[in-house]
Amino acid sequence: MTLLLMAGLLFTPLAWAVLTLLAGFRRGRGITWLGIVIQVLVSLALWAVVAGEGGFQYPLGGWQAPLGIELRVDGLAVTFVLLTALVAAASGLHAGFYLDPDKQWHRYFWPLFWFLWAGLNVVWLGNDLFNLYVGLELISLSAVGLVALGGQAEALRAAIRYLMAALLGSLAYLLGVALFYGQFGSLSLSGIAFALSHGSAQGAAGFALILMLFGLALKTALYPMHWWLPPAHGIARSPVSALLSALVVKGSFYIAARLWLELEAPLGSLALAQLLGILGSIAVFWGGWQALRQPKLKQVVAYSSVAQIGYLFLLFPLTWNTTEAVALQAQQAMTLQVISHALAKAAMFLSAGNLILSVGSNRVNALAGVSHFLPFSLFSFGLAGVSLMGLPPTGGFAAKWLFLQASLATGQWWWLVVLVGGGLLSAAYVFRVYRASFVEDSNIDHFFHPARRLEIIPMVLALLSLGLGLIAEPVLSVMALVFANGEGT
Amino acid sequence: MSRILRSLSVASVCLVFVAGLAFVIWEISAVATPVDLPARLAENLERSSVENPVTAVLLNFRSYDTLLEIGVLVIAGIAGISVARTSSLEDPELRTSDELLYALQRWLIPLMLLLAGYLLWAGSDRPGGAFQAGAVLAASGVLMRLGGIPMDFLRPGLMLRLGLSLGFAVFLLVAVASALHGGEFLAYPPEMAKTLIVVIETVLTLSIAMVLLALFVSAPVNNAEEPEEGGS
Repeated sequence: MTLLLMAGLLFTPLAWAVLTLLAGFRRGRGITWLGIVIQVLVSLALWAVVAGEGGFQYPLGGWQAPLGIELRVDGLAVTFVLLTALVAAASGLHAGFYLDPDKQWHRYFWPLFWFLWAGLNVVWLGNDLFNLYVGLELISLSAVGLVALGGQAEALRAAIRYLMAALLGSLAYLLGVALFYGQFGSLSLSGIAFALSHGSAQGAAGFALILMLFGLALKTALYPMHWWLPPAHGIARSPVSALLSALVVKGSFYIAARLWLELEAPLGSLALAQLLGILGSIAVFWGGWQALRQPKLKQVVAYSSVAQIGYLFLLFPLTWNTTEAVALQAQQAMTLQVISHALAKAAMFLSAGNLILSVGSNRVNALAGVSHFLPFSLFSFGLAGVSLMGLPPTGGFAAKWLFLQASLATGQWWWLVVLVGGGLLSAAYVFRVYRASFVEDSNIDHFFHPARRLEIIPMVLALLSLGLGLIAEPVLSVMALVFANGEGT
Repeated sequence: MSRILRSLSVASVCLVFVAGLAFVIWEISAVATPVDLPARLAENLERSSVENPVTAVLLNFRSYDTLLEIGVLVIAGIAGISVARTSSLEDPELRTSDELLYALQRWLIPLMLLLAGYLLWAGSDRPGGAFQAGAVLAASGVLMRLGGIPMDFLRPGLMLRLGLSLGFAVFLLVAVASALHGGEFLAYPPEMAKTLIVVIETVLTLSIAMVLLALFVSAPVNNAEEPEEGGS
């Protein structure tokens, strides 16, 4: 049963990438619907299996690590697999109606979409450093292809910037992988952690870890390495922006978090942990401030991503040299923040796309009066904003509450400033969009009304992110599940 | 002045990085690794049914990585043709008709095709294989293209897309067939491993060549306008 589920999970996105490459846009859309149904069902079933029986390791091709590649199917991995299924399904459905089927380059959206999904699943399940690198490449290249879709000069410029940043990050990561392999003779992450905890010499591993964290932070757009994100996420089509902000940046962050949680005890240091936390805090303020000042609607949302990513990096100082209980709390906070930001940001980008479609302009000031015409989309935008601000009972609130408790338990009170200040800034930029849309400006009367189904999808996502705080308990209990035979050498 | 300062600081950062890297590599070379992977590889080589360890790693022990890497190549091909100006893919104006080049081609192309075939076949017991053979095949395609030989299959139609995905699709089919057969995803049945590996290598060669060639041919960029959302 689990074998079939795993094969389905790994095989479907890759096979659907090929099928949709051979079909045109409309037929590709039909094929994609079927694929989405399969993927969501398989992800749900796998999540249920792990929730019931605990995690397991899956050796590919029947070869055990370190000779072959083993996947790690634990609670955190299946939680993210399920999250990906939800957000990608929503973005894919939205894109099917949002993109113009008559532009012939849009047919390439589907294969790139499926390759992106495949790459994300590779990363969530990966336990082999090189396999994770290949997953990162799958994600980055298909994301760059999606940004460049259509080949308009501005989009190409953003895509090339994105490609350069992604490649630099990948190469730094790969260099770290090579050093780890030279040191330990194994690529399996749990194998390396095992060797380190059993008194193997550290040697160069600290340097390798710093290199990898640098590369991954660049790909996650941590301040001050965020310069590539706003142009790329701003210029892409809205369903693509939703995928990029909600999922793609989380892929590289997830690898950084896994590396840190496995290797921080022997290789980490107080300075490194605090540095990452401080950069994250600056990102929260800088991103929020920039979001407040952007004239274009999608740039507001993109800079808000820079800010929200900052919170994730509080994981590093809060898990370094702390008790098990506090470290678990910080991990739970990180997980909830990833989930709630993914849902809220996808909802925000999709509804922003609807608003732009409706008023025919991408500027915040052009939204005047849209509250009469598109209350539904505007409401989704606001609900997602409530989660970003961190008001109860949203997922964002639960995440910040856990971060707050972990900060107090470790005596690192200075993160409280970040948690409170960041929430206020998010409130400011969400209300700015609202204020613009409630201005009574009767001069404009040619609003285009997008199809109702385009409005429902972001609404569902926003409601999920709103309700996440209420169902946080079962989500977190599955997330903390690890498998019985801990070491994988 | 500020330019000199900037290049100096960049140079010093690079210097520090290289020095750190050299020191680290020096340290690594001094200690023995806790896991001896080459020895394990040698022990299991027989069970992989190819004699060349590199091919065994690429297509059997770590075939999942290779499958995904082919996926990365296909993505690059898709991204390339999605931004290409469609008419230019087969633009007569871009062709040269040089007598000498044409004469040279008639000597070189058959030799290169032969070399590609040899590299593919050699992969089973010495360095070689799909990637090298595909690169040689693509290079001969580039030569043919520059020499003005029409290559209709490079038009952005179904043929091109089939060619791009052929190797990947066959690899994937083998992977899933082994899963349905009762084994794990990508586990070849031992008695068929050799045949399957040869088949996969062959179609991969074709697709890799196709991806590289498509990227070469589709280099000019779209001039059709896709305005930014709401950017009228």
